[in-house]
Amino acid sequence: MTSADRRTWLIILGLAIALLLCIPLSQIIFHINYNHTLTVVALGGAALGILASVIGCFAVLRHESLLGDALSHAALPGVAIAFLIAGRQIVALLIGAAIASWLGTQFALAITRTTRIKQDTALGIVLTGWFAMGLALLSYIQSRADASQAGLDKFIFGQAAAMVQSDVEVIAIAALIAFVLLALFWKELKLITFDREFAQANGVRVRALDLLLSTLLVLTIVVGLQLAGVILMVGLLIAPAVAARQWTHQLGQMVVLAAVFGAFAGGSGAIISGLDVALPTGPLMIVMASMIVFFSLAFAPGRGLVWQKWQQWRTRLSLTQGQPIAAQPQSEM
Amino acid sequence: MVTMSQQNHFYDSKKWPILGRFLITLVCSCGLMPVAAQVQEPLHIVATTTQAFDLVTILTHGLPAGTVEMTGLMGAGVDPHLYKPTESDINAMYQADLLVYSGLHLEGQFDEIFNALGERGVTIVRMTEPVEVGGFVDFLPQKDPSIKPVHDPHYWFDPRNWQLSAEYLGEQLGKRDPVHADLYHQNASAYVAQLDLVYHWAYEAMQSVPAEQRYLVTSHDAFQYFGGALGWEMISVQGISTVQEAGVGDIQSVVDFVVNHQIPVMFVESSVPPNTINAVREAVQSQGSEVTTGVRGLYSDAMGSTGTFGGTYIGMYSENIYTILQSYAKQGVKVIIPPYPSDLQPQPPADLIKQP
Amino acid sequence: MPHHKTPLALEIHDLTVAYQSKPVVWDVDLSVSEGVLLAIVGPNGAGKSTLIKAALGLIPRASGDVEFFGTSYAQARDKVGYVPQRGSVDWDFPTNTLDVVMMGLYGQLGWFKRPGKREREIAMHALQQVGMQDFATRQISQLSGGQQQRTFLARALVQDAQLYFMDEPFAAVDAVTERAIVTLLQDLRAKGKTAIVVHHDLQTVPEYFDQVALLNKQLIAAGPVATTFTPENLRQTYGGRVSFLADGAQVVGMD
Repeated sequence: MTSADRRTWLIILGLAIALLLCIPLSQIIFHINYNHTLTVVALGGAALGILASVIGCFAVLRHESLLGDALSHAALPGVAIAFLIAGRQIVALLIGAAIASWLGTQFALAITRTTRIKQDTALGIVLTGWFAMGLALLSYIQSRADASQAGLDKFIFGQAAAMVQSDVEVIAIAALIAFVLLALFWKELKLITFDREFAQANGVRVRALDLLLSTLLVLTIVVGLQLAGVILMVGLLIAPAVAARQWTHQLGQMVVLAAVFGAFAGGSGAIISGLDVALPTGPLMIVMASMIVFFSLAFAPGRGLVWQKWQQWRTRLSLTQGQPIAAQPQSEM
Repeated sequence: MVTMSQQNHFYDSKKWPILGRFLITLVCSCGLMPVAAQVQEPLHIVATTTQAFDLVTILTHGLPAGTVEMTGLMGAGVDPHLYKPTESDINAMYQADLLVYSGLHLEGQFDEIFNALGERGVTIVRMTEPVEVGGFVDFLPQKDPSIKPVHDPHYWFDPRNWQLSAEYLGEQLGKRDPVHADLYHQNASAYVAQLDLVYHWAYEAMQSVPAEQRYLVTSHDAFQYFGGALGWEMISVQGISTVQEAGVGDIQSVVDFVVNHQIPVMFVESSVPPNTINAVREAVQSQGSEVTTGVRGLYSDAMGSTGTFGGTYIGMYSENIYTILQSYAKQGVKVIIPPYPSDLQPQPPADLIKQP
Repeated sequence: MPHHKTPLALEIHDLTVAYQSKPVVWDVDLSVSEGVLLAIVGPNGAGKSTLIKAALGLIPRASGDVEFFGTSYAQARDKVGYVPQRGSVDWDFPTNTLDVVMMGLYGQLGWFKRPGKREREIAMHALQQVGMQDFATRQISQLSGGQQQRTFLARALVQDAQLYFMDEPFAAVDAVTERAIVTLLQDLRAKGKTAIVVHHDLQTVPEYFDQVALLNKQLIAAGPVATTFTPENLRQTYGGRVSFLADGAQVVGMD
């Protein structure tokens, strides 16, 4: 490990510790009471943030961010149809969500294969079309007795504050499964993400690994739907990964840093919403994640906009002063 | 009605050729048709909520068949704060002779439609109109005094308000259909008397609970009027409208309240998801206290299915009373439920009165 | 199919590739012995990349057989190395040069093993062979085109294959890199290995390669450079879009 790598790992560790320290600090400074509700929601939000951001790293690097968005939006009609068939059974609703997501992506694939339409357009068609179907079904369902009590519309924006301990456990188990699988197949996943053709030529089972990643993606979305909702789920997937990419050039560091960002966004969103009675939890989590992204895009050394502008200014300064351009330091970024 | 003889100079054969006279006759006789048709066309009444539909049904009881045709928009278990009118709903409203709705923004997604309908000249009956003048209207408790106070739309939970709406609707029906005005007035008066009966029965029942335990904990803030009418205090997780998402702070404050006041039971509602109450219960239990949920859910924004006891206002109201008091009794609170008034219609089913 | 005493490095028989029922490459027969440097040339869209991808099983074949050292690709896989086009990869991926080279060893490691010290050393050695050892920890997005190409070559080298496929390795590289690649190719040939290279620069074909295959959806001609790389064949391949300098010794191709 180079010294620069070690430095980055230390910074990541330091960041994680600092964020954990925020908990006792906030208790002292803001007099936040970490009672059962706040703890459950913060843990659930953090757990989902970790799971989503880790899977999201692969989605982003495989240029599948739009796929993640399409999968979330496409789940809505599945929830509606599952309700029509099985009633208010949460397991049935989530299975319906998973099936609808999967069908949506197969449909997009079929469009790409059989017509001239490109993948992003096909996904856009599925995203909006499936979601509209879901809204239409919800509108039809709303007039039925029992529909309001099922809270199907909560799947659109999520309801984080009403989490109970069993919800957190489900997310934690899903995260554990995902991490074990990712760790087992780490190098193969890295390879097929970077150079798919080379992987294929070398006998790596590319299709099987694709299926693994898609399944983990659908699993993550389904597990997070009740919490974050179909519209906002993609934010938890993508934002921490994009932010982490700004600070590191190693895949392993990117994934861990994304997990830290995701945990922070999920946990702090929950905690801040607990400060004021009127703030909704799900959207706050995404706001925190977005703030991290914007900060990273602007201020990260090497890739950040501010840093790049500063480098340009320095270069221009050297040129106007008639001096040779200072050797661009080859940073390890 | 203008007769042809008065139009001599107008109908002069020198001025108008035969075809022209034929056309004028045709046009004039067409003008007579709607008047003739009006006598046979039923009165189209559209009611938004289940409560509105129930009231219209009661006031139009005893009319000859085919006089009125009623359409209800929202069914049992539907949340009126969130319900969005469908195309067929809007069509029905546009073609209605009379539209009956609650008001005070209960039907939160209908505001634009109501404005548009008003411009089109549909007779609109807003049941809260008499209540705003002479009844009890609560405001949403505000933390920030600079925000304009908002009305609580759940006014019908005070039977005295409902009486005002019943009389008002009776009047409006009478104005629109003067032929049957007497019947409407009769029905309204009879119903007001019934509401008196249920109110006094409910008051006596709810007051039998010791004063320090008269708290009602529910999912959303639908029961202010209920509490105000019966001398109980209400606590809820979500605010007045289920449109707002509950936050962690909302849940926390209810948890604190339940623990501090040793409240033994909370209530879920038929038209709202129970997860907020479940979250409160788990949090309360984590603090070492015990709280259960009621023996049944409460009717809040929506009543039960038509044809059941809970599908009428009086039935719904009474069932809520039974649910609350039976739940408290089950937790050991001293409760005395007086016998149901014998001349109050409808009568509750036997398995409802039975103590669980 | 006739069997030789020592199997040919590559034997392609009657290969056809179709895309949405349109043939892209058809009826290709090609035999390549060991110890040969073969260039595949042809105009844009001739199907050069398609040919090697189809041979390697990366895209489906409509028909035809391909044998590597007398057996199927699946069985000969550890003897075959592949260097894809540089542009087929997103170089903004978070990894460094050494890591990319080590990816060439994943096949040897198998499913669950992690690359360790031994793999690291092999990779560093390969980087030295292409002159990239100082760039081992450099983030790949900071590499120039030529450096990226050499990284890919190092990755192929660690595979220690007998037969290499390279897709446009000379495209848009600097002179240093070009020299490095040529040296590498000659090194391979000296060791008795084979390289089949998609090449775009007609001028350098006779200089760098022993054999050439002229492809324009169909195989026009294949064989030793001296006899195959003729103006007549070139005209046929490029459809008359080739112009010649006065003395006929230099050939410049235009697409």
